[in-house]
Amino acid sequence: MIRLQFYGLLRLMLSGKESLELPWHEGDTVGLLLEKFQAVEKIPVTGKLIDEHGTLHAGTIILLNRRNILHLKKLDTQVNDGDVLALFPPGAGG
Amino acid sequence: MGNGWHGKLLRVNLSEKICTIEALNMDWAAAYIGGRGLATKYLTEEIDPTTDALGTDNKLIFATGPLTGTYGAANGRYMVVTKSPLTGTVASSNSGGYFPCELKYSGFDMIIFEGKAEQPLYLKIHNQHAELADAAHLWGKTTDETEDQIRAEFHGDAKVACIGPAGENLVRFACIINDKHRAAGRSGVGAVMGSKNLKAIAVRGTGGVTTANPSGFREAARETLKMLRTHPVTSEGLPALGTAILVNIINQSGALPTNNSQFGTFDKAESISGERLVQTYLKRNKGCMGCVIACARVTKLTGSRFTGSGEGPEYETLWSLGATCGISDMAAIVKASYLCDEYGMDTITIGSTVACAMELYQRGLITEDEVGMPLNFGDADVMVKLVEMTGKGEGFGNKIGLGSYRLADSYGVPELSMTVKKQEFPAYDGRAIQGMGLEYATSNRGACHVRGYLVSPEILGLPEKLDPQAIEGKAAWAKAFQDVTALVDSAGVCLFTTFSIGVPQVTRLLNAATGSNHTDDQMMVAGDRIWNMERLFNLKAGITPAQDTLPKRILSEPLPDGPMKGIVSRLPEMLPEYYSVRGWGTDGIPTAVKLQQLGLV
Ligand code: SF4
Repeated sequence: MIRLQFYGLLRLMLSGKESLELPWHEGDTVGLLLEKFQAVEKIPVTGKLIDEHGTLHAGTIILLNRRNILHLKKLDTQVNDGDVLALFPPGAGG
Repeated sequence: MGNGWHGKLLRVNLSEKICTIEALNMDWAAAYIGGRGLATKYLTEEIDPTTDALGTDNKLIFATGPLTGTYGAANGRYMVVTKSPLTGTVASSNSGGYFPCELKYSGFDMIIFEGKAEQPLYLKIHNQHAELADAAHLWGKTTDETEDQIRAEFHGDAKVACIGPAGENLVRFACIINDKHRAAGRSGVGAVMGSKNLKAIAVRGTGGVTTANPSGFREAARETLKMLRTHPVTSEGLPALGTAILVNIINQSGALPTNNSQFGTFDKAESISGERLVQTYLKRNKGCMGCVIACARVTKLTGSRFTGSGEGPEYETLWSLGATCGISDMAAIVKASYLCDEYGMDTITIGSTVACAMELYQRGLITEDEVGMPLNFGDADVMVKLVEMTGKGEGFGNKIGLGSYRLADSYGVPELSMTVKKQEFPAYDGRAIQGMGLEYATSNRGACHVRGYLVSPEILGLPEKLDPQAIEGKAAWAKAFQDVTALVDSAGVCLFTTFSIGVPQVTRLLNAATGSNHTDDQMMVAGDRIWNMERLFNLKAGITPAQDTLPKRILSEPLPDGPMKGIVSRLPEMLPEYYSVRGWGTDGIPTAVKLQQLGLV
């Protein structure tokens, strides 16, 4: 299983839901998991993270086991069984 | 004058009780932009940098920028510039709210306070009329009470900036609060105000501010507003969750200093997160004057343990009164945050100082007898109590009021103070985010996040993503961010706009407002000039380049947990490159050539 964790606006949109488990399949990537996530939700959620061309928004943070996928293979990063994927729509502060 | 300026400064001699109006030095305004830059120029010209920060000879300057009171990019900021009693460096603290625009609309661009009042006074400004009034009846009152009282006796629509009891008691990190909840927060500017027996400034201004090129300004403002309204950070993230959104981001990144930086993650971060704040005490968001972002949090405590309402806490406060004290009790943090506003104290420094005291207690250096209670990490009630005692100047609170460096030093362990140049770190571990470590070490007012917010590229990926662990190129990034921030602070614009707009937009607004025709590069040079001027002030004040460093813990104790486990700051590798990109000598002193280029000799 893969655990998806929701933060920021995503959590607010999902009425406070903090996480979700999705079954893992050989060959899963971060991008594929986002598609699966969208398929199980009734409202459009992944648009908060990626645009209509499937490009990450400026400021979107996706951490795979606490490593930013921008320093891995971005949406093509391979995901392994038991991994944790933390999803943060763009946010900032100081 | 019709160019973003009125061309007037108000000089207030508190010793003589005299207010005089002077022409603003427009040559300086052109070279140093305004706000932070211009006020620092005045400070540099008018005080001896070695002077006692709490002595009569220090001056306290309230400065707007040429964009303060205009529109387009959250243009409602001012700076308080003085010599800091916490660090001994130049201090310049920024705040928003409604006071800065009101000051501008009174027809004054800047106020310089000098001398020291014999008795408590406050300054009343009604457009071009300024007078000092007795403040004996306000002394001892909280910032809330002070503002209410002044509005009742002076003008119902006046905007007020004032100190609370902490400023009066010369707490080294006392701040100046305006509009009840906005703080010129860091470096102890409130203590300087208290040392001058100046309780408050109340302004009623009904004029405006005009720009040199109104149609060009409208166009420039239309562009910036569009960018702010469409960028996901400034249009969605900040309004919905405020700065508090960072708690989970920074914790997951392994960069949330916990238990006085003994750890880089906090296992209870979720309990003090922005998401949790939305679900508990948040009532609505709110903006400073004219701001389309509206990141402020209006909150109210419900429940039996603590009561009150106000604004905040911000991310920094959730961390300082939370994670770094090992505290996960949101209600206690919200309460302590309110108390900090009411007493007028910097939440970052007080939280970090309480955390330092907790570590001293953990190590047996501070005893229960001294504090009057046990002082364990994680004890929220004790934290709230200490905040109150510090604000009131009671018991062990007087030691907390010195800041963590002087506190730890008094026990012979200054290295346990998580400071640079005696100012406490904000909420990012300098090991986990290498560029931030460099930025803390080189910041002109001691450790600070709003002198060059490298968290933005290193963690948030804005404007592009950098690896927080890489050190290559970080020196140039630090310089660029420091210079841009100096420009933005001087213009009168909120730094948060720079998550979506950049130097071209600020330059365009400045050109249209002031009638100049600067290039982006020239504006970056202005930022560099301001940075170097601050550096020169510090050098003359006796702050040597040897103080461009980090506590031993950050340099040599590897992070024991989280994704950045095993890592220390690589500052020694980055610092020489930083000096080099700054055009300074290897000794960290700006070279004659550099100063010549910047027009600083
Ligand atoms: S972004 Fe936030 S702090 Fe900045 S001006 Fe707007 S409301 Fe104030």
